[in-house]
Amino acid sequence: MKRVLIVDDAEFMRMSIGTILKNHGFEIVGEAEDGIESVRKYKELNPDIVTMDITMPEMSGIAALKEIMEYDPKANVVMVTAIGQEALVREAVTNGAKSFLVKPFTEEQLINVLNKVLEI
Amino acid sequence: MTGQYGNEPMMEMFLFETSQLIEQLEQLIISCEQSGHYTEDAINEIFRIMHTIKGSSAMMMQDSISVIAHSLEDLFFFLRENKHKAVDNSAVSDLVLEGIDLIKVELEKLKNGDNADGNSSELQDRIKAFLADLQIDTSSRATSQQKNPDNKKQQYYLSMDKKKIITAKYKNTFKATIHFEEGCEMENIRAYTIVHNVSDITDEFFHIPENLIDDDNSVVKIRQQGFQLFLKTNSSYKEVQEFFMQTLFLKELILDQIEDSEYERLRNEKQKMTDKEEHITGKQLEEHQEGNKEIQSLSSKQNVISVSMAKLDKLMDLVGEMVIAEVMVIQNPDLKGLELENFQKAARQLHKISSEIQDIVMSIRMVPLSSTFLKMHRIVRDMSKKLGKKVNLKIIGEETEVDKNVIEHIADPIMHLVRNAIDHGIESPEERLAKNKPETGTVTLEAKNAGNDVLVIVKDDGRGLNKNEILKKARANGLLYKAEEEMTDKEIYNMIFLPGFSTKENVTEFSGRGVGMDVVVRNIEIIGGSVSIDSTPDKGSVITLKIPLTLAIIDGMNIRVGSSYYTIPTISIRESFRPQEESIFTDPSGNELIMVRGQCYPVLRLHELLKVKTDITRFTDGIITIVEQDGRTICVFSDELIGQQQVVVKALPEYIRKFKKTKAIAGCTLLGDGSISLILDITGLASLKGLR
Repeated sequence: MKRVLIVDDAEFMRMSIGTILKNHGFEIVGEAEDGIESVRKYKELNPDIVTMDITMPEMSGIAALKEIMEYDPKANVVMVTAIGQEALVREAVTNGAKSFLVKPFTEEQLINVLNKVLEI
Repeated sequence: MTGQYGNEPMMEMFLFETSQLIEQLEQLIISCEQSGHYTEDAINEIFRIMHTIKGSSAMMMQDSISVIAHSLEDLFFFLRENKHKAVDNSAVSDLVLEGIDLIKVELEKLKNGDNADGNSSELQDRIKAFLADLQIDTSSRATSQQKNPDNKKQQYYLSMDKKKIITAKYKNTFKATIHFEEGCEMENIRAYTIVHNVSDITDEFFHIPENLIDDDNSVVKIRQQGFQLFLKTNSSYKEVQEFFMQTLFLKELILDQIEDSEYERLRNEKQKMTDKEEHITGKQLEEHQEGNKEIQSLSSKQNVISVSMAKLDKLMDLVGEMVIAEVMVIQNPDLKGLELENFQKAARQLHKISSEIQDIVMSIRMVPLSSTFLKMHRIVRDMSKKLGKKVNLKIIGEETEVDKNVIEHIADPIMHLVRNAIDHGIESPEERLAKNKPETGTVTLEAKNAGNDVLVIVKDDGRGLNKNEILKKARANGLLYKAEEEMTDKEIYNMIFLPGFSTKENVTEFSGRGVGMDVVVRNIEIIGGSVSIDSTPDKGSVITLKIPLTLAIIDGMNIRVGSSYYTIPTISIRESFRPQEESIFTDPSGNELIMVRGQCYPVLRLHELLKVKTDITRFTDGIITIVEQDGRTICVFSDELIGQQQVVVKALPEYIRKFKKTKAIAGCTLLGDGSISLILDITGLASLKGLR
């Protein structure tokens, strides 16, 4: 089973993503609602892949990404963003994010990107 | 808030969360306005909230909300990037609050199951115009800041650094044209991802379009012509193909092996084009600082989970059933007369635990009044602005909790009372100064616990109520129930709550649309509460709402009249005793009264009032119970006291309520032996007898 950690400060988004993933054979091993929690949970659960919201309170998605990549250079992190955050997305890519999804994204896009990242 | 829109959990969650964010946002704006400026942290948080709302609403395909959020997000993005700039904060607040109001309207539509089809283009244009004005002033700074972008350029344009590489190093030269999937968005950054990765396998490459970062057109170019990457490498065709095929959101890859000379030619052409293109304007790419700063936000992080109201209601019901079942076991007729020491011990333990469960379940449904109170800031702000009055809202005791059901019923009344205080109570600044009062009026909203009730007090330091005006109006509408001279000031003031008091003359834009205070009273009485008012001319008025903490389980004293059982809430009972013949007498109008320690109280014969047959009609054969409710004290005459028990209040069945208006009965309950007892409402009883 593909193990996913969902990170987003909006419960609505966590729910949306979780529902789609569960229907496509992913196992949601954990959720986090800010950067600090996401790093902690990553270290605890070692998921196969992470969906990470770019803008969050306490510690941003970028900062969390950096810490996760430092902890595990092979980590698979896919950023989730809304339109208009190019600079942030670019910074994420520069810091090791494997890809990114732009809201609104379709079920297909979410599943395809996660599956593809896991293949590589 | 539960399942009105086809039980769609996603929509429910979206509406719940977005509403919360909007409330948070509103408080933030208002507090920034009050302090006079937008702090950096506030700007960041506002930006983040707008960004989240934009994303969530886009996911739910609610574009009407998404576009407003987007406009506001752009505005705050600018404010964030240009912190030093002097901005008209009041204008910003107005724009954001307008946007918030529009979003609220759309959310309401969705909550009611309608489509969110609002058009916000007018507001969007105004925000854009406002932003454009701000940007005009800023662009003049841009020329002096152009040096910085060059530094950043260096980081990303790796190929520029390495022009000196010996071209003979690599064997193969390729041209890759990549088309991304439709709708994947931010194609320029996706292309950038490829560039970021390709630098792992070679350092000799260039691409078209060259500028992926600051050129807004690059997205369009990539969508139309594809992303072209030219590279030199020692890897084979197959290996290069494999590399590109790993691209995410890849629709199509065209990979050609080309000649070295072709590569050089194309690169020179591209260089000429790039030099011709315009300078990158000073768009500062800010380093992401959120990791370093501690953002003090109004969003409190608590360890909470959200639970569906339906589950909580079910839990409450079951706890009620449990209380009844417990009583049925412990007071079971089978056990009558038996000496059961061990049983009693166990029963006491059971009772202890079930009481604790009750307390916790009640507390789960308790919600602090803070969110309702905080909403009033917006009302006060809007009203004082529109009416040209200066008003300060003071909030005390907002952490006081009430049942969730109750909050829904008192939000509107409180709003009406606050509006009223500002509209009719607080005088204009000039009038206040003339009276030697501070220019800024104060409206105080206070909540506190008082026994089994919660008191919500709306106080203002305005002009107070006018006794004569009230008497005049009451006279005109035939509402005088007592001779004018006999009324106390308080009684006169409380006449404003009588139905029919507020006439259409009172209508202003904000209050008294012919509905007035009696609607407030009705809403409060529905939940078993009461409203009262007191006032001092020129000093102000105080309106007190008394709201019961819980509706469901009360402590009751069971009494018997004939073969019928009734229950009186213990909290209302002062004392019970068997009366003496001498203490009872009749007044000239035929009302029976009783003398208790020098005080006189009216006596209600329950068997008469409720029309129940009983043998006990002589006072000395029955029991007198002194009860008090809402400041009224009366004596109730019944046959016998049965005993005290915890009583689960159940509403009277619909068909009874419709058939016969029963003011005296507040509900019904089951006794230990399974018989039904009617719960008495003392105020209702008193009014049955015509007492006030």
